[in-house]
Amino acid sequence: MKTIREIAEYTLDALKKAGADHAQCVVSSGNTDELNIDGGEFSLMRTLFSSSISMKALKDGKKGTISINKFDKEAIDDAVKACIAAAESSVPDEAESIAELVQNESFTAGVMEPDRDKLFDRLEEYMSDVKKDYSKVIIEQLISSYNRSHRILMNTNGVEFSYEHGGYDISSMFSAHEGEKASSFIGYGGFFTKLDRKLIDFGMMRTLLAESERQLDTKPVEGKFVGKVVITPACLDGILMTLFGNFISDATLIDGTSPWRNRLGQKVASEKLSISTIPLDDRVVCGERFTADGYKSENMEIIKDGVLKSFMLSQYGSKKTGLPRAKNLSQSLWVRPGSTSFNDLIAGIDRGILVNRFSGGQPGTNGDFSGVAKNSFMIENGRITFALSETMINGNLAEMLNNVVDISSETVCDGMSVLPWIAFDGITISGR
Amino acid sequence: MLKDLISKYQGQLREHTELRAQVNTNRAVTLLGGNLVTNSRSDQSGVSARVYKNGVYGFASGADYNDDNIKAVLKAAEENALFMDARVNKGKKPLPGLPKGNVPLSRDVKDPEQKAYIDFARQIDAYIAEKYPKLASRIVNVRADSMEKILVVNDGHNTHSLLTRSFIYLFFTANTPDGAPVELFKVFGGYGYFDENFKSPEDLYEGINELYEKVMQKAEGVYPEAGYKQVIMHPDLAGILAHEAVGHTVEADIVLGGSVAAHNLGKPVASEIVTMIDFAHTALGEKTPLPIYVDDEGTPAEDAVLIKDGILTGYMNNRETAQHFGMKPQGNARAYLFSDEPLIRMRNTAILPGKDKLEDMIASIDDGYYLTNTNNGQADTTGEFMFGVSMGYEIKKGKIGRAIRDTTISGVAFNMLKTVDMLSDDMYWTCSGMCGKKQPMPVGMGGPAIKCKVNIGGR
Repeated sequence: MKTIREIAEYTLDALKKAGADHAQCVVSSGNTDELNIDGGEFSLMRTLFSSSISMKALKDGKKGTISINKFDKEAIDDAVKACIAAAESSVPDEAESIAELVQNESFTAGVMEPDRDKLFDRLEEYMSDVKKDYSKVIIEQLISSYNRSHRILMNTNGVEFSYEHGGYDISSMFSAHEGEKASSFIGYGGFFTKLDRKLIDFGMMRTLLAESERQLDTKPVEGKFVGKVVITPACLDGILMTLFGNFISDATLIDGTSPWRNRLGQKVASEKLSISTIPLDDRVVCGERFTADGYKSENMEIIKDGVLKSFMLSQYGSKKTGLPRAKNLSQSLWVRPGSTSFNDLIAGIDRGILVNRFSGGQPGTNGDFSGVAKNSFMIENGRITFALSETMINGNLAEMLNNVVDISSETVCDGMSVLPWIAFDGITISGR
Repeated sequence: MLKDLISKYQGQLREHTELRAQVNTNRAVTLLGGNLVTNSRSDQSGVSARVYKNGVYGFASGADYNDDNIKAVLKAAEENALFMDARVNKGKKPLPGLPKGNVPLSRDVKDPEQKAYIDFARQIDAYIAEKYPKLASRIVNVRADSMEKILVVNDGHNTHSLLTRSFIYLFFTANTPDGAPVELFKVFGGYGYFDENFKSPEDLYEGINELYEKVMQKAEGVYPEAGYKQVIMHPDLAGILAHEAVGHTVEADIVLGGSVAAHNLGKPVASEIVTMIDFAHTALGEKTPLPIYVDDEGTPAEDAVLIKDGILTGYMNNRETAQHFGMKPQGNARAYLFSDEPLIRMRNTAILPGKDKLEDMIASIDDGYYLTNTNNGQADTTGEFMFGVSMGYEIKKGKIGRAIRDTTISGVAFNMLKTVDMLSDDMYWTCSGMCGKKQPMPVGMGGPAIKCKVNIGGR
């Protein structure tokens, strides 16, 4: 077996011969070149040669899944046996299935050959730019890599998708220091396919570096008040994905605890809010092309003008609940921008805070959240005034979506998502 | 059991080189409301090499565990080290030598069948479904993982090691009087294989009953009042305090990144009753939850005393940072997968117990909270920390009051630790969590109940 397609064919065949009524496998191989900076200095170069097979067998309506990272026949044969044994030990479930054949397709995206020297040059330049333009900032850790992957999904219904892609990424964690004063750290990064521009100009990088220096002197909010919170693009994706995990994903829809379980087609948010997942958008680097269930991915409206349009349900979740399957299962979020500039959005806030990072406990299924506003600033009388420390925000995610004050006209793309700044009202903000 | 194909290469290892073969296994079974939504087994194995050259490292890994691939990863790691050295040119001295030795595998390698996990989970689920029909939702989640490594180094200790853990997580959801869901979870298990930790479902019934009582109390609970409050942290929170709020700030790589600990070595950072240690394999005369005897750089593991009687006394190091700070490496360099390089990680981090009784600690608070469960935690290099609190109670005039809803507490570690004025005389360990720092890593953490002041979120 020389190609991953041959490995996938062999695996499916072996699963059928071992007794599977239906089976699916995903086979992938890839390589990574990764450069690391620690404490402001280059520290490590890492090369990874990766391989994986994930197989799923259904026998008498019972499911077993196995994943291994070996391609040799003996390892696959052992895994097939274990997969069938796991299925035989399982519990029958009518909702278990594999994708039906619609149309097979192959996809390619990104850049297939890395330029290791150019990447190193860009990282050296980034370190030099940070030192020159933001001299108080220490890059605590930076990881940048080139990743190439070829993945094939096949099932016994004849479904076959192939996706070959390659691209670069950067993840930089930094903080500002002056004597014994230090800012909170913040991490920022994203995905790209070209090395044609400075990494310091990527997305919100410069904004966050500059703000780190401003966060050397902080103070807590005085007392407690209910006010407005402006969530930046650097923070928004985490909040939205948490919300969707709680409200529109498999677990809480299957067990019936999601507050939105009966809200499809109904208003769940401010009419100002429209949110989609857009893995096929040109701005998304190497986005999802097919789902883990074996369906071709399509962009999907989740909320349009405040109305819930889709759930993020897998095929299993869909069959279990009788609700529609998601058109993609990616995390490539897009929020429709507003018509107010960021400066005007801030100018419209009497008292509130700007939040770049949220460090909080896992919100409950009911949407209650509570946590620390990190890397954040006070907004008073339409102006950003001082950097905050020891300031907590508390609220409810569902209520928050209904309390959208304004959305910026500017958006930021990090290669994964395209997001604006959003001002929400009704959040409890407390200091010491 | 992992075959040793790499020891024969020891004589060929140049510079400072680590050669590691490793297999990680993960077994998972999840019953969601009685539906078996997860039934999976995952194995990841392979070989990796790391080469140190003048202050930089080259690393390479591959899944195939055979002579050809062992030679290939050694060659690629060396080429990466040469590339980095040529481009960075740090010109640092070689790392100080380590004592040579060998720590062999001390226990059997096993792999329980998937049926054992499924059958046990179904019995637990059936008990809960029958006894507690009022629950809005129930999840029975069985997890077992293992990490077997063979390490060969040109300098230091070779070892063949095995870490294995198995847990059952129960997540209960109850509805509040106004119909909103509230959750609570409990973990059973610890170090060891599933069949060693879980003999009979009945052994869990008492814990299940306690979890049910608590989630029903929480459903009737109130939001805490936001502000700076006096609290008792249950030992469950003390462990995460030791790990998140203090532990990460004294990892030497984080210190080099500018953590608050950089300016506090030798200074008071906590009240005099606080001592905190990252234990290697034995704590207070007993085996730690995740015993480490040799780390992944070949350093023999010993305890790292971080805070002694309130004074910050040390950092956790790898060989390179130990050289930088003039400290002794104590075995904190750990890698998660075969394809991961060793990073400075905690092992079994704990605040030592004190002399107080929990009931006296509660009685000493006029208006505050007893915080009993946590669901996550994060910390900053500044020492500012946050824990999610998933269960707790009001304390009013020295008495336990109403249960509280989910909230978050925060503080600045080296300020907050100075407010500690009572520590209970008992000790509670856990090792069910994964620490996240580029790579995940199983860690142990522990401590007594702690009386201190923190910010608490609320309405």
